[in-house]
Amino acid sequence: MALFNLPITTRKHLLNLGLCLALIWGVYDALMGPDLVSDLRDFTGRYGAYLLLISLLFTPLSQRWSWVKRHLAMRRNIGVWGFIYAALHVLIWIMLEFYYDWQLMLDEIAGNLFILLGILAFLLLLPLALTSTHKAIKYLGYRKWQLLHTLTYVAIPAVIAHHFMAQKTATLEPLLMGLVLFLVLVWRYRHVR
Amino acid sequence: MSVKSSEITPEKVYKRRRTLVAAGVGVLALPLLDSAYSLLTQEQESTNQMFEPLAALPDSQDLPLTPTAYDTVTGYNNYYEFGFGKEDPAQAEKTLITSPWSLEVGGEGADKPGVYDIADIKGEHAIENHLYRFRCVEAWSMVIPWNGIKLADVIKRAAPNSKAKFVRFTTINDAQQMPNADWAGGPYVESLTIDEAMHPLTLLATGIYDQPLEQQNGAPIRLVVPWKYGFKYAKSIIKIELVETMPKTTWWLQNPREYGFYANVNPRFDHPRWSQATERVIGGLGRKPTLLYNGYAEQVAHLYPDLDNRLYFY
Repeated sequence: MALFNLPITTRKHLLNLGLCLALIWGVYDALMGPDLVSDLRDFTGRYGAYLLLISLLFTPLSQRWSWVKRHLAMRRNIGVWGFIYAALHVLIWIMLEFYYDWQLMLDEIAGNLFILLGILAFLLLLPLALTSTHKAIKYLGYRKWQLLHTLTYVAIPAVIAHHFMAQKTATLEPLLMGLVLFLVLVWRYRHVR
Repeated sequence: MSVKSSEITPEKVYKRRRTLVAAGVGVLALPLLDSAYSLLTQEQESTNQMFEPLAALPDSQDLPLTPTAYDTVTGYNNYYEFGFGKEDPAQAEKTLITSPWSLEVGGEGADKPGVYDIADIKGEHAIENHLYRFRCVEAWSMVIPWNGIKLADVIKRAAPNSKAKFVRFTTINDAQQMPNADWAGGPYVESLTIDEAMHPLTLLATGIYDQPLEQQNGAPIRLVVPWKYGFKYAKSIIKIELVETMPKTTWWLQNPREYGFYANVNPRFDHPRWSQATERVIGGLGRKPTLLYNGYAEQVAHLYPDLDNRLYFY
């Protein structure tokens, strides 16, 4: 495909534009629907989880397929976009779903593994998003930066477990996501460098 | 091939990275461990005092109820036979033939079984209007102005005998008329005890906002039991049977640990995976506290003498 042969910066811009438009479409769709809050919450949650999972697939798949390897530089963009979706998901939860009712939020969180996993994921992703710049890599040094960013292998399982627990009953989609993630984790464990 | 020393990961870092990946596997397995743990402790829980005394629970709401907008009530639905998404049922083609519609009333507990046309039933019993709170097990809620007849009126027609201990409701299940008819591998079945079914709050709804029920809301006739979670409200009912043994309900078959027979609303009794203490008001912002028996404790608490029995609340 000609798209794959464009310069990497152009591909990154196209990716950013596409995911930005997807977000705008999601907001438009939610505004048209019967319940703005759940539409926005579920849209950002689900697609944030997809993006984060995709960001983990780059490394193992690039070992196998050269066309993935040619896009390896987009991994970080996808990861950062996954974080943007996740951050919006958290903001929607605080601002729209709970309307800043901190007491109710605390009651909801207490002893609730489903919400706790979501919060854990967000807290782990936050420092990674903040250190996603070239400057941060230089500042921390590659080794430290890489160790810090290994936290994605804890944060993204928390995301997928949270997504799985959000369903009313066991559905295929989060189960498949869990399976893919499990395979990535096993591969990563065996190929840690 | 030679490798620059800077490219070799120090063993300490390598081990730490491995530990983190292993921790990730553990985190991914947490929902399974959580399920296993609650399965193991379930037996024990049932004998424990789980709830505060009735008086300490929020069981009434003085504020006047504000009905949820018609477009919201008809636009945000769970009706898996028309799709899994909340907006799928409203967007599905109107393929369900709701007129004529016959309702079979029978079972071993009925001395006078019969098959009725819905139009006749609607004509023969008083249509009542009730503004009820609606609480879904997924922790969201609406307020719905229902029109319908008392379920008790229909049951009385069948002359229930001593074998009528439970009432079993069956939803139409026709792949010609429903795009996702087979999701549960059979018709949607729900059930009440005979006392719950005869309760004056329990309705067979035929309309909302004085409009006939839309397909996505369970046209032409659906159950309404306001103190229970919404999955109890069987839609598009074709059969009502009075039976002696407790029927196996669809959601119970799907997941017996999470969706029980009684499914009475109780803010102190959480779903295994999420809190039931509060509910999100559909079409609005924020959440509000959930009420015991969804605010109908005064009317229904006598049906459940043992408030410690967890079976009543899942």
